Amino acid sequence: MRRFDIVTLDSPNRAPLRIEGFLFGEHHDNAPSVAIVGAMNGDQINQLYVASGLVEYLRRKEEEGKIIGEILVIPAVNPYALNMGEKNWPLDKTDLNMMFPGYDQGETTQRITARLFETLKGYDYGIILEGRRDQGMCLPYVKLIQSGYEDLDAVRDLGMGFVHYRPYEPIETAMLQYNWQLWETNAFAIVFGKNGAIDQSDSDEVHNALIRFLSKRKLLDWPVFEGKKSNILHSQQITLLKASRAGIFIPKVHCGAFVKKGEVIGLIMDALSGEKREKMVAPCEGIVTCQYSHPLIFQNSIAFRIASVEHSSTQERL
Amino acid sequence: MGLIEEVLTIELPVGESFRIQRCRYLPLKGESNKRISVVSGIHGDELEGQYVCFLLGQWLRENPEKIRGTIDIYPAINSLGLDSITRSIPFYGVDLNRTFPGSKNDFLPAQIADGVVEVMRGSDIAVDIHSSNIFLREIPQVRIAKSQEKMLVPLANLLNIDFVWVHDAVTVLESTFAHAMNTIGTKTLVVEMGVGMRLGKAYGHQLLDGLLNLMAHEGILDIDPLDVRFPIQSHVGEVAYLNASSPGLFVPAIEHCQVIEKGSLVGHIVSPLSGEILDDVIAPIGGILFTIRAYPIVYEGSLLGRIFGEKQ
Repeated sequence: MRRFDIVTLDSPNRAPLRIEGFLFGEHHDNAPSVAIVGAMNGDQINQLYVASGLVEYLRRKEEEGKIIGEILVIPAVNPYALNMGEKNWPLDKTDLNMMFPGYDQGETTQRITARLFETLKGYDYGIILEGRRDQGMCLPYVKLIQSGYEDLDAVRDLGMGFVHYRPYEPIETAMLQYNWQLWETNAFAIVFGKNGAIDQSDSDEVHNALIRFLSKRKLLDWPVFEGKKSNILHSQQITLLKASRAGIFIPKVHCGAFVKKGEVIGLIMDALSGEKREKMVAPCEGIVTCQYSHPLIFQNSIAFRIASVEHSSTQERL
Repeated sequence: MGLIEEVLTIELPVGESFRIQRCRYLPLKGESNKRISVVSGIHGDELEGQYVCFLLGQWLRENPEKIRGTIDIYPAINSLGLDSITRSIPFYGVDLNRTFPGSKNDFLPAQIADGVVEVMRGSDIAVDIHSSNIFLREIPQVRIAKSQEKMLVPLANLLNIDFVWVHDAVTVLESTFAHAMNTIGTKTLVVEMGVGMRLGKAYGHQLLDGLLNLMAHEGILDIDPLDVRFPIQSHVGEVAYLNASSPGLFVPAIEHCQVIEKGSLVGHIVSPLSGEILDDVIAPIGGILFTIRAYPIVYEGSLLGRIFGEKQ
């Protein structure tokens, strides 16, 4: 294992920023290379935990001589934010994952991402451990955007239950996955957990998926159990259930639950009088893949996302 | 006196509603011929526009007989943010000016954006007043996307500002208030002036004169056009960016809005710890320094200023 600084940046007063990488194995003609990026925001503790756990696992496997290709793990892109409970770059609040591909003559965060991206370019596979971008939590899933450079076969080797395969949104052109794909790395993201927390079960699932991927793609000489057969979900298969009123949100089911059409899956109470304001009823049969995670809910917030085998015809989709 | 109305309310979780208020002025007699919306506070840390709204309201109260159109004043769009020194929409941390045109059936910031567009739909003109952010101080300027140059530059030239900056289209700017309003036929100008979290009285009065002049030209006010300054036009030159080469404390050497020579000193980056001057910040081109850093802590890359000068 080689531990090294990918980016260093002096600060006016605090200790310098260091984005550290952990490199395992070496270039091999018969094995691909992969880079795995952990917490890009300061609230992605689950992503940090999985990435650092992977570093420890790979360190042991390297000692056993089991690593064939080259594997780079970057557990924390934004340690400054992690160390002070901020989500974004602490001075100007920019989101580092909105600054790709970066610009080495630009603003501070553009320079940071430009330097990071220089290191990330050229890997065969790129895996981004992502948190949610809303007030939600979800079953671990693969987010694969359609830029014309994506590789659906590769993500099946993770053996994860759901792959959300969808066109990219304009805002995603400033994110790592899109830019990495544009530079011809087979890049995808694994989205999981609740921001600011660690879920051990989800973390184990993602850890195992990463090891399965490394093994199946011949980077790791180590047998693994088969994973799940991935369900490729398109946006039309996901039904949104929104809160029609604001108040205290009481979910009655949790991510992973199989719900029937008509089943009561959540309540909203008036936060002062305690009166019931809304009974949330599942509009279709399916699996709850995401739910709102804050106890206070706003009008029209997405309370649940339900994935169905059949395409939804009546509900609003995302 | 204007009519104060609550034009948008959205239920919040605990016994409160989010609200946007406006003050509407109509002609004392006769039909209104045109409608203008004056907007501020889309960012909760930008306050220069609030002062302009006050000045305009004060003028209109004193001169009601001059009014020929509908004049709507919206001083506080992000009312939650303004009352809590929060730039974005609180709770969500989302920049409202990256959420337009929004949707009724979406999260709170999108509902606010949608409500704002619907309330202002039908205005002939909108003026969206910003004051940069807490990091940068700007001379009064209007920024216009290249695609709207022909339609908007003549209006911007009436506003008594110092600079009209026509910039290339950027995808992310398609989610702004100005883009959304221009798309539905309201000619919308974005003014940037001053600095976040502060008031500059002189700039407020300068823009008030500009607004009165604009309304005189458009027939919304029955007054003679004012003798206003003609802004520098960005197409005649180029913008140079000054970025910090090292971290430290930025200490400006010259006043804002000053014509400077190529090679002249803009400021220093200094080390409070060692007492050293770490870098001399030198103007790469001659021209007018129209942006200068107001917040002194800088990292490598932090924007220190912008100079508009002749093409090299």
